[in-house]
Amino acid sequence: MRTVPELLAHGVGGRQDLPIPFAYAVTGAALALVISFVVLGAFWREPRLGDAEAGRPVPARVARLLDSAGWQWALRCLGLVFAGYFAIGLFFGPDVDRNPTAGLFYVLFWVGLVPASLLFGPVWRALNPLRTAYLLGAALIRRDPRRGLRALPARLGYWPAAFGLLAFVWLELVAPERATVPVIRTWLVAYALLMLVGAAVFGVGFFDRGDAFEVYSDLVGRLAVVGRRDDGVLVWRNPLEGMSGLAPAPGLTAVVVVLLGSTLFDSLSNAPAWFRFVQNTQLPAVFTNTVGMLVLIGLVLAAYGLTCLLAAKLAPGVRPVDVAAEIAHCIVPIAVGYVLAHYYSLLVLEGQRTIALLSDPLATGDANWLGTADWSVSAALVTPTGVAMLQVTLIVLGHLLGTVLSHDRALVLFPGRSAVTAQVPLLVLMVGYTVAGLLLLFAG
Amino acid sequence: MMPSVGRRRALAVLTGVVLLAVAGTGCGSTDEPVDASAPVEVAITITEGRAEPQPGRVDAKKGQSVRITVTSDVPDRVHVHGYDVGAELPAGQPATVEFVADMDGLFEVETHESSVLLFQLLVR
Repeated sequence: MRTVPELLAHGVGGRQDLPIPFAYAVTGAALALVISFVVLGAFWREPRLGDAEAGRPVPARVARLLDSAGWQWALRCLGLVFAGYFAIGLFFGPDVDRNPTAGLFYVLFWVGLVPASLLFGPVWRALNPLRTAYLLGAALIRRDPRRGLRALPARLGYWPAAFGLLAFVWLELVAPERATVPVIRTWLVAYALLMLVGAAVFGVGFFDRGDAFEVYSDLVGRLAVVGRRDDGVLVWRNPLEGMSGLAPAPGLTAVVVVLLGSTLFDSLSNAPAWFRFVQNTQLPAVFTNTVGMLVLIGLVLAAYGLTCLLAAKLAPGVRPVDVAAEIAHCIVPIAVGYVLAHYYSLLVLEGQRTIALLSDPLATGDANWLGTADWSVSAALVTPTGVAMLQVTLIVLGHLLGTVLSHDRALVLFPGRSAVTAQVPLLVLMVGYTVAGLLLLFAG
Repeated sequence: MMPSVGRRRALAVLTGVVLLAVAGTGCGSTDEPVDASAPVEVAITITEGRAEPQPGRVDAKKGQSVRITVTSDVPDRVHVHGYDVGAELPAGQPATVEFVADMDGLFEVETHESSVLLFQLLVR
């Protein structure tokens, strides 16, 4: 009969966003439609993206510094320092909610990777401690890190990253006790071993498309205003050029679909109808939620596949598989917009809490290693109206970028007059994804 | 080939229109805390891992008191996420959690051992 403060909360982020008002969802959906029609009808008739020379090279001195081995190793050392600090709580800290491990992993790292990559490009490629560990190991046994035991098969593509991403989102959204230290530790040790084995077998190039977090950071980082052109030159560029330069490869669609589908599931699982269903089925919740997540990813994929079939039907001589491979990059901004909308307040609130906890990674209660232990969480940046507005804006902006990319690619992909008709299914798909996202923010 | 200045301007205008339109939808809504003196009362019974009444959403005004009474058939603990308050639940006996909902947002109320979601508290 008493109210006591809890010492052990489970789960990261006790607070979730309020549902967005219905008027916001409708406005967002209407804007998405308008944008789609405007982009379809009023803009360019010749492809404008995909120029190998696009962008303005960064000053030579800056480029020399950023390309230097010294700079690259400095970043790798920074990554090792981060990983080392993270390992203190992960391996030696007690499993209590004052341990910063869960907040570090799910909030500062996973969610924070999106804004960091949007600003600076594929940052995780530069920092990834697993890549560095492999490079150091190869140097130790005097082996060329680029050469593994066998050549990396081209058809492997992004598939390892797609499965890695699926394993991560399952951990993040479905796994029982997912915010506890032992669960995170087990998952991460297994993941690190798999990545290192992959690199040992296929060489350091395995990380490029095999490491889920590097791939995620690279996809998002293509929307940064600074990037590396195919010829290796560092340039300031239109973010759309970066995104458009994402080369089709096996498994790329899977990565994008898993990303979008799993984030939509996170919203869905928050809706009363869903958790009532989970409780009423009497099956273990982990089973129902796993199936639910896979079904939602499957629906996102089915819509994608159907769209490609329709578009190919409308364009003579174009195969559905080519459409599927060529439009994957258009979905990335939509997914990124939704991910940012979905996680913004979590990043702001739990991010602050995690930074405070960081000063005491062993959760002793009196350590203040970084001087942040006394930070209190400010909710100044998280007002309900502000968040709802930001969410709709981000989703609509993602939709805008996606439709512009798809229009431009359609002009390359579909011959002659079919360029206009064949891109209608693509636009319908994107409106569908966007509206689904808005509805889930309203219902979830 | 880069977009011409005209095209860029058109895109910029389009982006501006989008932002303005989205911003416009925000006008007129308020999120002032409303003083409601009566507390929000919720009573839940848990039998064999199922909550009765069925889990749903409970609305509360920011600043309003919330009183949650839970009766569980097995010993457990009830926990309000975000507010991080809770109470021990002895088997078969009602236990009460009471607190002031002074943060806005959506908060799950759950049992600790069996992880049964009781309801979501919507504070605005």
